[in-house]
Amino acid sequence: MLDSTLLDFVMEEHKKNAPGRELSFVVGGEVSIRQDPWWWLVVAVAAIIVLLVMLLPVPFREIVLFARDGILVTMVVTVASYFLILIVGLLGGLGRISKNKLIFGLASLYVEVVRGIPLLVQLIGWYFASPVIIQKLGLWLNLQALIEYRPNPIITAIMAITVCYGAYMSEIVRSGIQSVPKGQMEAARSLGMSHFQAMRHVVLPQAFRVILPPMGNEFIALLKDSSLVSVVAVADLTRRGREFMSAHFNPIETWFMVALLYLIMTIVAARVVSYIEKRSKYERY
Amino acid sequence: MPEPIVQIKDVKKRFGRVEALRGVSLDVNEGEVVVIVGPSGSGKSTLLRCINRLEEYEEGTIIVDGMTLDNTSNINAIRREVGIVFQSFNLFAHLTALQNLMLAQRIVRKRSREEAEKIAQALLAKVGIPEKAKAHPAQLSGGQQQRVAIARALAMNPKIMLFDEPTSALDPEMIKEVLDVMTSLAKEGMTMLVVSHEMGFARAAAQRVIFMDEGLIIEQATPHDFFENPKEERTRLFLSKILHL
Repeated sequence: MLDSTLLDFVMEEHKKNAPGRELSFVVGGEVSIRQDPWWWLVVAVAAIIVLLVMLLPVPFREIVLFARDGILVTMVVTVASYFLILIVGLLGGLGRISKNKLIFGLASLYVEVVRGIPLLVQLIGWYFASPVIIQKLGLWLNLQALIEYRPNPIITAIMAITVCYGAYMSEIVRSGIQSVPKGQMEAARSLGMSHFQAMRHVVLPQAFRVILPPMGNEFIALLKDSSLVSVVAVADLTRRGREFMSAHFNPIETWFMVALLYLIMTIVAARVVSYIEKRSKYERY
Repeated sequence: MPEPIVQIKDVKKRFGRVEALRGVSLDVNEGEVVVIVGPSGSGKSTLLRCINRLEEYEEGTIIVDGMTLDNTSNINAIRREVGIVFQSFNLFAHLTALQNLMLAQRIVRKRSREEAEKIAQALLAKVGIPEKAKAHPAQLSGGQQQRVAIARALAMNPKIMLFDEPTSALDPEMIKEVLDVMTSLAKEGMTMLVVSHEMGFARAAAQRVIFMDEGLIIEQATPHDFFENPKEERTRLFLSKILHL
């Protein structure tokens, strides 16, 4: 699920930028264990999980069955947040290079403030503080819908993560845009393109290739940091693990299996990122 | 006598405290080829870049093909009529040669894919590298890149072509292939302003050579007069340096 989302995103980018061109322009872009030996680690971790579940169904099969909805929640939170982070990051990154002082100032303030506050604090703050603010606002405006507002934990968590990671992504996008030589924008403008058209068709496609590796890193970091949402009543993999441990009192087995489940997700994601990187490389000046 | 296609009147431009242009006036007629020479920092590139407003100027007026450049509202309309070729090529690195020629045709001139591709192929053939249509810029030599860059500008059907030191970044053996393209363009009657120290090109293709120094036009003459008997002392000094006499 997360694999195809990332891949689709990249394929779409390519289709827009280079209609009719194959995605692969570099030999070695094919996925295979021979090309990318790290796939062996994926195989090994998957084998350990399968063996444990088959050979020791109590407690490992029970843990996996108990936590499977948590795995789904972890994936949904990660992928949904990442999609929103890409949008916030693009807008924030463009704001950070804007010549308009107000836009630049707001974008910079956002990045500087949000980066200075721990994600956990932001999550808890959003979860507990935002409903109170919204309800107070409802009382003030006398709007019944706002007064009766009850936070949806998953949506609140996705919003908090998006605001936090969006700041980091903004800086990645900014650095990517600034890595494209100034002459590219000049050449595009001199052909009569508007600033927007030049950004869209010339600068951003090149920036995108530069920032693919850090963007992939952000995805993997996000997948791991999504475990923090377990403190705000989201039943993700970590929270489900804690619940299982409390019920059966077997911390060693529980956290070993939870760790393996996170590991299989992150190393598969890492392989997909590395695959996309290899495929979208092109020779630069 | 028709109106000059480029009219520059007393243009002044400063970068911070440096005066890059200190009142430059120049008229260029349709079909004329003007070569601008001068030491580095003399303002010749800045003048060229003002003509399609890649640089803004503080004072004076520039009229291109009847359109005044002093405000920026019609800037994209003017840039459609004025092609520019840069010293560093500036080809779009993520696109093939063919796509480099097609992009602006499609989104600025609103041509269909088929039409844009036909024009692009014809222009690549014209600059002598039809077989490189599918190559990315990094797979091309400097001379080939610059020829693609010229073709890319021509694809917009400009009335005026500006060349900003088009051969300065090239290896010596590649200069001729680019100058040949420029010379044939001049013979076809294209209006051209060329910042270049290629004296062979100036003699073969230009009607006028202009010498700039310290933000001013010091002297202008036909290529023959300019190189054989320059009037100004500064021109003579400059020529003696670049001709290695």
